[in-house]
Amino acid sequence: MALLWIHAVEQGFAYGIAALGVFLTYRVLKFPDLTVDGSFVTGAAIASVLLVRHGFDPFAVMPIAFVAGGIAGSITGLLNTRLGITNLLAGVLTMIMLYSINLRIMGRPNLSLLRVPTATRVIDAAWLPLGPLAILAFVTLLTLGIKLLLDGFLRTEIGFALRATGDSESMITAQGVNTKRMKILGLALSNGLVALSGALVAQYSGFADVGMGLGTIVTGLAAVIIGGTLVRSSRVGWMTSSVLLGSLVYRVAVILALRYGYVVGFQASDLKLITSLLVILALVVPYARERRMRKVSAC
Amino acid sequence: MKQITTAVILAALIAAIGLVATSEPLRIGICKIIEHPALDAVEQGVIDTLTAAGYVNGVDVEYLIASAQGDFATAISIAQNYRAQDVDLVVAIATPTAQAAVEVFRGADTPIIYAAITDPVGAQLVASATDPSGNGNVTGVSDMIPVSAHLRLLMDLSPDIATIGIVYNPGEANSALLTEMALAAAPSVGVKIVTATADSTADVPLAAQSLVGRVDAFYVTTDNTVVSAIDSVLAASEEAGVPFLMADPTSLAQATLAAGFDYYEHGLTVGKVVLEVLSGVGTDEIPVTYQQSAEVHLNLDAAARIGLVFPAAVIDQAAGILYGGTVWKRGTP
Repeated sequence: MALLWIHAVEQGFAYGIAALGVFLTYRVLKFPDLTVDGSFVTGAAIASVLLVRHGFDPFAVMPIAFVAGGIAGSITGLLNTRLGITNLLAGVLTMIMLYSINLRIMGRPNLSLLRVPTATRVIDAAWLPLGPLAILAFVTLLTLGIKLLLDGFLRTEIGFALRATGDSESMITAQGVNTKRMKILGLALSNGLVALSGALVAQYSGFADVGMGLGTIVTGLAAVIIGGTLVRSSRVGWMTSSVLLGSLVYRVAVILALRYGYVVGFQASDLKLITSLLVILALVVPYARERRMRKVSAC
Repeated sequence: MKQITTAVILAALIAAIGLVATSEPLRIGICKIIEHPALDAVEQGVIDTLTAAGYVNGVDVEYLIASAQGDFATAISIAQNYRAQDVDLVVAIATPTAQAAVEVFRGADTPIIYAAITDPVGAQLVASATDPSGNGNVTGVSDMIPVSAHLRLLMDLSPDIATIGIVYNPGEANSALLTEMALAAAPSVGVKIVTATADSTADVPLAAQSLVGRVDAFYVTTDNTVVSAIDSVLAASEEAGVPFLMADPTSLAQATLAAGFDYYEHGLTVGKVVLEVLSGVGTDEIPVTYQQSAEVHLNLDAAARIGLVFPAAVIDQAAGILYGGTVWKRGTP
């Protein structure tokens, strides 16, 4: 049974990297970016094609996927800042374009990775003493490493300018910062992370599919908002941690619904309902406690 | 005396094994990528085959039925849940669910039976379609349809048919492959193929309309996106006054004619493979099973609307017709 929770954490962290990307646009830049549904697949597609057709190293494909996602994000940024297309539409347009582009990259709608060495399988064999914890350790180290890098970046001068662009565009323009460039940079970084997550998830799952990005924005936003509700802090390190926590809560909810849903009489088609009810529960418990505390202090 | 004791112990052991076998039901995980009439029918077909063979649901066998509801991450979680719960056998319906199951059950010997997959070798679920010895714990049934036979069937309808239009979603692995096969088969069949793509159900009407006036017949394979908006394809074909062949008899009412199998039948075939594995035949002894699909069904009502009279040769091979709103099967009085 413990195995299932290990898998929940693996997936929570693997998708957590994409959630960090969504956090960067939605929370930091205040830019609702829908590109991610496409760039997640772009990362998976690039990684799979390089692995299957060109025999690349499974770890080397991840930074390449990051760069590809970055290009996708900059396209949304250019559409928005240079051509004046509203943020939502710019993201939607890039996402739609990426559907065709991803098909071109893969050459077919589904690319199997079942017969090539993937990062997770290489780690599983190399870190044998860790047993079933090997993949968990790898995904956790990778995700936390990326989180720390992101934290560090957001504390640099450019990072501050990026955060200020989201907080108060007019003020930071007065300081002489080119906010257009900041937006493009933020979108590129965000979609780079999302594509990296896609490259990791494809290897973890054993295939890339042109439909696998559907809902990346929804689960990413869910993670950002669940995390933000559970951990209320405006410090960078806490905020990114909360995103990963939110992603974990979401995956645990799915696993709980899958594992115990049918025990209490739910059927397969009820899955999304139960998942959402569990997420609501996770949000309501701390909220109710807080209200009770406030009432007590008011007395 | 000693022999009697041995015999008694043996008998007790056999009885105990029998008891264990009856008290511990077999656990079978059945997962699909999304709720869909065809995939639901496969699931039902598998369960019905097992029930008919004496596996009573809840007594002899317990089904862990799951749907990823379109979410690929959930497809992985479902397979991981099956492995954590140590199910005895997995039936994986559609490509992503099957790939997820094969990845998650790597290193385990739990049999994985895939269903509704056009090209199991291309999806790398198995190494070879004909030689199962290297396929490990994976086998199953392909829903490949005989595309070139379908093209010939359309050409049999009228000597005027020179160009066939296919509406499909390039994002669906099965459909993209079948369209590719149609394009490859076209020269030898002696027909020209024109395609129109629809990325989503909402795009199907426009894609179908774009073929009006350019083609002499419409053809749709087992494409889930197009099937969801199949009425718009029939409307376009009738506007053009040309026949429309659908590769799934369950959609006969929305086509001029249909050829192939319905997915409940496919599920029954998958169920038979499951029974074979349960009876002790190794998955590495069962090659890829191909769904037999020779049936032709004619919709006379739709044919009348475009002024088409089916040639006698085609009527002769029809297994069923739709006439006056009623389906007539061959052999029914």
